[in-house]
Amino acid sequence: MLSDLQEPQRQDSTFDGPLDGQFLKLLLEASLTWLRTNQQTVNSLNVFPVPDGDTGTNMVLTMQAAYDEISASPERNFGKMAHMVAHGALMGARGNSGVILSQLWRGFARAVDNVEYLDATGFIHALSVARDTAYKGVVRPVEGTILTVSKDVAAAGEQALAKTDKLCDLLEVIVQEANLSVQRTPDLLPVLREAGVVDSGGKGLFFIFEGVFRFIHGQSLDAVVTTVQPLSSMNLENALETIEPGQDYEVVVDFQPYETLDLPSFYGSLQEMGTSIQVGEGDGIYRMHIHVPTEKRYHPIDYVMTVGTITKVAMENLLAQMGRIEPSCSENQNKVSPAPVDPGQIAVVAVAPGMGIARVFASLGANAIIEGGQTMNPSTQEIIHSFENLPTDKVILLPNNKNIILAGKTASELTVKKVAVIPSRSVPQGLAAIMRLVPDGDFDNVVHEMTEALDEVETGEITIATRNVEIDGVEVQEGQIIALLNGKLILSSQSLEDACLGLLEKAHADHFELITMFYGENTNKNEVYRIVDRVRIEYPKQEVEIQEGCQPHYQFIIAIE
Amino acid sequence: MTEESTPIGSIHVSPRAVATIAYHAALQSYGVVGLTSKNLVNGLTQALVKDPTHGISVEYDGNMINIDLYIIIEYGTRIKSVAASVMNTVRFQIEKALGMPINAVNVHVRGLRISDID
Repeated sequence: MLSDLQEPQRQDSTFDGPLDGQFLKLLLEASLTWLRTNQQTVNSLNVFPVPDGDTGTNMVLTMQAAYDEISASPERNFGKMAHMVAHGALMGARGNSGVILSQLWRGFARAVDNVEYLDATGFIHALSVARDTAYKGVVRPVEGTILTVSKDVAAAGEQALAKTDKLCDLLEVIVQEANLSVQRTPDLLPVLREAGVVDSGGKGLFFIFEGVFRFIHGQSLDAVVTTVQPLSSMNLENALETIEPGQDYEVVVDFQPYETLDLPSFYGSLQEMGTSIQVGEGDGIYRMHIHVPTEKRYHPIDYVMTVGTITKVAMENLLAQMGRIEPSCSENQNKVSPAPVDPGQIAVVAVAPGMGIARVFASLGANAIIEGGQTMNPSTQEIIHSFENLPTDKVILLPNNKNIILAGKTASELTVKKVAVIPSRSVPQGLAAIMRLVPDGDFDNVVHEMTEALDEVETGEITIATRNVEIDGVEVQEGQIIALLNGKLILSSQSLEDACLGLLEKAHADHFELITMFYGENTNKNEVYRIVDRVRIEYPKQEVEIQEGCQPHYQFIIAIE
Repeated sequence: MTEESTPIGSIHVSPRAVATIAYHAALQSYGVVGLTSKNLVNGLTQALVKDPTHGISVEYDGNMINIDLYIIIEYGTRIKSVAASVMNTVRFQIEKALGMPINAVNVHVRGLRISDID
């Protein structure tokens, strides 16, 4: 009888019987899959305006560890299975949200300790115990987080239990409440409100519940296409790369739906017209992006008009646009040839966020380059690989990003080679350090010299804010240009030129000698020349150099020394 | 201790002020259920005066700020992850408030509190 539960055609009715351990496995797999599908959505809810959020990743890794623990287990007892899940989650807990998630699982497991089959009452009881356990883990719970969502969900479950004891109905109530609770998080936590986002951990928990809900209703769990991303995280520039023959027109439509948008059918209709479909949502406004053949270029607009009020339409001929665009950095010269190194010499491995920067490092004597930087941190494994094959056992690593320093240090402990990590937090710091390289010098002396060089350079970075936020008294609107000096947000501006000049002024560039500007892969070259001309006029006594950096995200990385 | 000069005067921030920020940040950090003293004698005196900087030491050598936290963690959580997240939270909150970089946040786990036994 219970084996019926595992049949592929999942139906509502199967969920309402008492659940055994094997069914828990199916549900966990569903939550994990759905959470992973939405991982980027959760990641994009970070509070700082530079892309570096990873709550989604942490939660996925925690859930993955929980699932790995039981994936091969034939256990049918629900309680025992839940304990294994909790154990896996604990062992794999990553980051704050991961730890809280593991505590929720721990409480859940304890509540179903001797339960062979889970029923509605047991389920709701387990949710309450999970909430209590999670709240015990902190002295001053911050409301407006994943904790709040777990609390609201448990309370809603308890209320609903008075009306129904069908698991399926209870789950529907829970998913709805989780969604509402997530929407309320900005009311409880001002920092979320300032940043214009909902809490990422709470959103992750919502996806975990929703995954179960979608599974028992037979809805798709890996259809990324039906997710709506926050408007701010839509990356339409990158969509350019995926042009397919025949899909010549790019159409972007902003609209307000008449009623709640039925995403699956919306996507379904769009897929019949074209490719590269993206839908974003923010403040009730939806934005639809699609590539279509020339003859169908008005179809998406006509279609959107049937589901909502159109507020803005943008249409572009991609082929014509491609012709205008200069060959992008990556196509330009794809080869970087690192400097050779002899046995016994000191080798330098540099992490570079773009081809151009990689070339500069290579020309200054780097013997291996790892691609990586903001939002694309290389793993410890990749770092070890990079220097394993060098014919010397003395290696200096330049991480060039604060998020990579730790991985570099771990790598240095895992290898038999003598590896020193110079804690360079930015590309300019890395460049300043490598200038001091003496390949035949004494290892400790060279490391010392290179580390000292880090403080001799000021690092400026110009990028675009991915959301509204206020930090350090600087107010930033989504889409605005922002400038960071040595990693700190110092100003926001509407124009790239003002941001560059403002940054140089704050950095007291007139007290320095050399200004080197690395422009990014998406920075328009004409604009680069114009800005550099302005900088040369403003700073006549300083040497101003421009370099093709090809780094993503950052329009400019500026070294002031 | 921490000093900054502006054209119209200078700003001094005492270690105690920094410790207060660290104290609140640590207690808001998930998995931390309390702070405790570095040693027993301190513990007794501090228990009497209820110090808001209890269990936290701040060092400033004229150049860098180092912070030591002596914490108690909830039994059943992954200690490594909790410790890492306290480090991050404390560093973030202090850097945000102070505008000065922190050199190191060292976390010393002095004990576990057992609320539930599995």
